[in-house]
Amino acid sequence: MNATISKTFHVPHPLEDVWANITNPEKIVVCVPGASLTEMVDADNFKGEVELKFGPVKARYSGDIGFLERNADTHSMKMKGAGTDVKGKGGADMLLNATMSEKDGGTEVNVTMDVTVQGMLAQFGSRLVTDATSHVFDQFVNNFKNQLDGKEVSGSLSAGAMVGSMLKGMFGGKS
Amino acid sequence: MIQCKTSKAIGGMGHSLKRKEDARFIQGKGHYVDDIKLPGMLYMDIVRSPYAYARIKSINIEEAMKVPGVVAVVTGRDLEKYNLHWMPTLMSDTQMVLPTDTVMYQSQEVAAVIATTKYAARDGREAVRVQYEPMKPVIDPFKALDPSAPVLRSDKPDKKDNHIWNWKVGDKAKTDALFETADVVVKEQMHIPRIHVASIETCGCVADYDKVNNHLTMYMTTQAPHAIRTVIALVAGHVGLTEEKVRVISPDIGGGFGGKVPVYPGYVIAIAVSFLVGKPVKWIEDRSENLQADSFARDYHITAEMAGTKDGKILGTRFKVLADHGYTDASANPSKFPTGMFSIATGSYDYDTTYMECDAVYTNKPPGGVAYRCSFRVTEAVHAIERITDRFAFEVGKDPADLRMQNFIKKEDFPWKSPTGWIYDSGDYHAGLEKAMEAVGYHQLRREQAEKRAKGELMGIGISTFTEIVGAGPSKDFDILGIKMFDSAEIRVHPTGKAIARFGTKSQGQGHETTYAQIIAEELGIPAENIAIEEGDTDTAPYGLGTYASRSTPTAGAAAAIAARKLRDKARKIAAYLLEVSEDDLEWEPGKFFVKGAPDKAKTIQEIVFAAYTNHPQGMEAGFEATHYYDPPNLTFPSGAYICVVDIDRETCEIKVRRFVAIDDCGNIINPMIVQGQVHGGLTQGIAPAMYEELIYDESGNILNGTLMDYLVPTAVESPNWETGHTITPSPHHPIGAKGVGESPTVGAPPAIANAIVDALSPLGITHLDIPITPFKVFKALKEKGVF
Repeated sequence: MNATISKTFHVPHPLEDVWANITNPEKIVVCVPGASLTEMVDADNFKGEVELKFGPVKARYSGDIGFLERNADTHSMKMKGAGTDVKGKGGADMLLNATMSEKDGGTEVNVTMDVTVQGMLAQFGSRLVTDATSHVFDQFVNNFKNQLDGKEVSGSLSAGAMVGSMLKGMFGGKS
Repeated sequence: MIQCKTSKAIGGMGHSLKRKEDARFIQGKGHYVDDIKLPGMLYMDIVRSPYAYARIKSINIEEAMKVPGVVAVVTGRDLEKYNLHWMPTLMSDTQMVLPTDTVMYQSQEVAAVIATTKYAARDGREAVRVQYEPMKPVIDPFKALDPSAPVLRSDKPDKKDNHIWNWKVGDKAKTDALFETADVVVKEQMHIPRIHVASIETCGCVADYDKVNNHLTMYMTTQAPHAIRTVIALVAGHVGLTEEKVRVISPDIGGGFGGKVPVYPGYVIAIAVSFLVGKPVKWIEDRSENLQADSFARDYHITAEMAGTKDGKILGTRFKVLADHGYTDASANPSKFPTGMFSIATGSYDYDTTYMECDAVYTNKPPGGVAYRCSFRVTEAVHAIERITDRFAFEVGKDPADLRMQNFIKKEDFPWKSPTGWIYDSGDYHAGLEKAMEAVGYHQLRREQAEKRAKGELMGIGISTFTEIVGAGPSKDFDILGIKMFDSAEIRVHPTGKAIARFGTKSQGQGHETTYAQIIAEELGIPAENIAIEEGDTDTAPYGLGTYASRSTPTAGAAAAIAARKLRDKARKIAAYLLEVSEDDLEWEPGKFFVKGAPDKAKTIQEIVFAAYTNHPQGMEAGFEATHYYDPPNLTFPSGAYICVVDIDRETCEIKVRRFVAIDDCGNIINPMIVQGQVHGGLTQGIAPAMYEELIYDESGNILNGTLMDYLVPTAVESPNWETGHTITPSPHHPIGAKGVGESPTVGAPPAIANAIVDALSPLGITHLDIPITPFKVFKALKEKGVF
């Protein structure tokens, strides 16, 4: 199943600083909740793991992530990730497009993320996966801002919050 | 009123006897497969594929084997050593038991974990590590035939595409010519959705192989125990399990609906493991496994066309079908009928021109399709004809009831030969529809509808006047894997006049323990309560093809009547001997023979039976037993007239079924209460695909509603008040004139509901909606028409 999430956020930091962080695998990966960088293959390609919890279902994806494009002139980048659940319960693919521009003395970041999930997780249906992915994304943005502010980044996944968000999504209507 | 020939004490046909089996079911004393616990029994759980189509790179069982209690993990490679990794389907296609290289649908069995407890087996399942290389699956059946589509069944050396078979019937040239010239031609593209039987009890088994005696006892959830025994012997005979060494026991079954006809890989793996380790192995599916991996039903894409005159005379039909069979053709049809009885799609109408064609394709979905409470694709056929008939009525501007009355086959024209070659045995379609129209207050409803339409309100009235074709079937044409589709009954009457009767069928909730007893009571006059009925044990029951396709009453019910009549003939001889009169001087009334003109000179059936063991005539065989294998001369053709009334909320698009009147004609009725119960259940399983159920797959082949959270099985809450009734047109060729009823409501209800909803929306120019018709689908249709 497919989930597409588009978000725009603003950070009060110069464009070049934001660009430097977002295109640095070591910095960007720790901002993704539950993610860790396990190996740098080359400048553009690396290996990582992401752990996700959906209520009773825990999935740990291990896979390859790579930059398809990093254009410092236009401040746009494309990333691709493909992982499989380490227990063989399915897989996930992700395509991420991000563009950055100066705005209000800081930087505005536009991100579109296409996630394709196969296997057990996909069976939860679009409402859960889209909501959960959106929640992970919000945590990512929060971490990313903290990182730019020089605060410590919590890479761990707040599963309880995610389930809460999912339940809200299910019963409270979509935000 | 149903006339009963027997007293209430005897309880023969027509009495609303309370179901004998319910005493144990309502007290929690039913005995199902999962209730079976044997000493030393092991438990099996199954690792399933998360992908719809993938190569298996590796299966690592190391961690699983470390789980306390796990004793073995079985893979396709293990089964391959015994040549047990493939099995035939009932349609002579092939199916993996466990894969060696490739998985073909999501939730396919990949490996089996055997452990000392079911919890250990599940923990072991979680610890098996499988590495896959996903491939792009074929999900859309229309794309499956595209030359660029990958050939899914590459295991078959000659296979160059995903086409399985082509089937056709009727006169193509004549039909095409009619459609060229006819005044009115209507056409709709319909999808009869992929659904699941979702029986309360999932599938499972206990395979108990006794190494010392080289004997397998297989307790399993099967609707056809004898056929399964033969299949096991055919598949595993080469490893020593010949048919006399196999006993299949089908205990109480919690709903089958066709889903318990096929052989699933889990059964075969359990047998293989029990055979190898010499211990009993239990396998019970969980709810999601049942829904995601067991055979689906339906999934026919139908282009339906009807040609006729401007004044509403039907002249011909044309149907083109694309059947999505998933990974393998695992239908449970009679061998010669790849589309089952779809050719009943000409319906209840008198015309002579039709052409039907069906192509079946492979896709990366679970295999099937089973005949879900349906005599093999009759549901699909009835939906097509009843929808297109309404479409035709709309086109020519006629009331759909009038148009049906105009076109019905007349009762004096039976037996009637259909354009596809079936001989309809009997029917009175006009009487059925008249009764339904009167019950619902049809003309008043049409007046109300006109008033509501003037105010912009959405109210619809839908009719379905269907003809079923059940009771497979005559041995000339009907077999499964070569075994003819007769069925059997064996009656043994004990010296004290009580009896046990055994059958080759298997009840899954139909109430056979009551209705079979009533048939025998009708014929022999022994009270039904004194007749024990036993089914489901291949060591004791006579051979039969099982219960599905509404075939139990038409076949085994007939066998019971004829076996009982053999006994009555013997009883006459004994009575003549006891009363010292000629047989011709005797007259029968239920329960006794008496001398003509001297009713007090009589012998009761109990006295006669006692004499059969204690004082039988010289030269006569002692005892009182009879067996009959009944080979039906024709199928039976139950019919029905259903009318549904719906109100649709224009704002929320919610659909409310206000009334539903079902008039069924199943010939002579054995037990009116059981018939009514069957109709209630069947109607509820008819509203299911009409408004709620569909197995949905995304483009990657993930099932998006693989749990009962998302797959909407209707409950009492969703069920409207069913108003039932009947007309009685006995089958002329059936010994007791019965036709079978279990499936009529499931078959007849969906088009009545769909027709009602489309009728409600027709003022907006909507001529068709595919089932399930959900509020969202109505919303989308209204939005397209500019309502929102």
